[in-house]
Amino acid sequence: MKRNYAGCAICDSTWGNVWEEVEGERMFFCCSTCVVQFRHLVGRIKEETGWPTIESLEITGDRRGRTCVASAGPSTFRVWVAFNSDGELLRFEKLGPA
Amino acid sequence: MTKCPACLLPLGDGDYLALATHLVDRADDSDPDHVRWLNQNLSRVKSEPTDLVPGLERVYEMGPGGIKTWIKSKFIAKFYGKNPHPFVVALQHPSRATLLGYVVEHQHFLRQWVRSCSYIMARTDQPKVVHYELDNLNTEYGGFGPQRVAHYELLLRMGESLGVDRAQVLATPPLPATARGIEGWNEIATRENWLSAVAAMHGLELIANRNLVDEGASVRYFDPSILEGSEISTASKNFLREGYEADVTHSDEALDLVAEFGTAPGLREALQSTFLRSIDLFDDYLLARLERASQFEA
Repeated sequence: MKRNYAGCAICDSTWGNVWEEVEGERMFFCCSTCVVQFRHLVGRIKEETGWPTIESLEITGDRRGRTCVASAGPSTFRVWVAFNSDGELLRFEKLGPA
Repeated sequence: MTKCPACLLPLGDGDYLALATHLVDRADDSDPDHVRWLNQNLSRVKSEPTDLVPGLERVYEMGPGGIKTWIKSKFIAKFYGKNPHPFVVALQHPSRATLLGYVVEHQHFLRQWVRSCSYIMARTDQPKVVHYELDNLNTEYGGFGPQRVAHYELLLRMGESLGVDRAQVLATPPLPATARGIEGWNEIATRENWLSAVAAMHGLELIANRNLVDEGASVRYFDPSILEGSEISTASKNFLREGYEADVTHSDEALDLVAEFGTAPGLREALQSTFLRSIDLFDDYLLARLERASQFEA
């Protein structure tokens, strides 16, 4: 999965040292909460789109809310998400085209 | 003494290098609370402890306004900056679900409130603090008779006005973030210096202090226009109005006590860290209100 962050897959932090396999790929996370967030995010996007895999995921924003642009082939899916403190999705609001 | 703002581990007075080293060590273990504190308060970029010291000095540095201004500025930055806390955003013009999320989680918060303030009274040596806490507890929980019931009772009446009876509210266990908050505030009240507990608990009453907009807050706790008209139930207005009127005094008086009794440098730093820990717990607790609200959404 192509991503825009070089650090933690959710927040781009370079603190911490968690490596987890997500979607068949070993990814870096700063903490276990971000792992939970990323798994929920990817799972929900796949559920909403019906895509078997996500080819790229671009995330912007901060802990109050993140805009995510996912793509697979020619298709793009945009969503605004917020998480609770356990990393579960609190908000998942689909956005129109940019 | 200085304490870690993520776990309240005691460290040497003014020893920011020790604090930075501790934060980096715990972040290397990927501890979520320490990583979060670094990400939100210093930097998301991993660095050496020595590089973090100037940032820590800035976090703890007090300006000419002293501890009262420092506490307010940290609170405003966290909850009332250009991107206010999502619960505050939702409360501007609240839905039934938002108010019910408030009711169900906040009754747990208020029950802990009684315990925390009681510990402060038991541990302080200052009669002025005891009087302050007695008045606060009567306003929040005990009430002053049928003509002036407590905030707790007004909260339950708000729930009833929205179709959820108090038996259901009282029987609902807290969400995990609320439970963690309660545990954290209980630890603060029982283990930390009583004045740190005053700052940690009553600093949270700044959330409803409408005067914060004069000190840089981007919005108030809610749009005061909802206290007029029929947008929310009468019982909801009564609950929100009570906090709107009481919490200016509650928070300002408590911060005056903190300023009066918290002059020793070692005590001051411990108090600052305890307050920082408390507002992180509160941030998560406010999200729990929204999480609970989502269960009431159609």
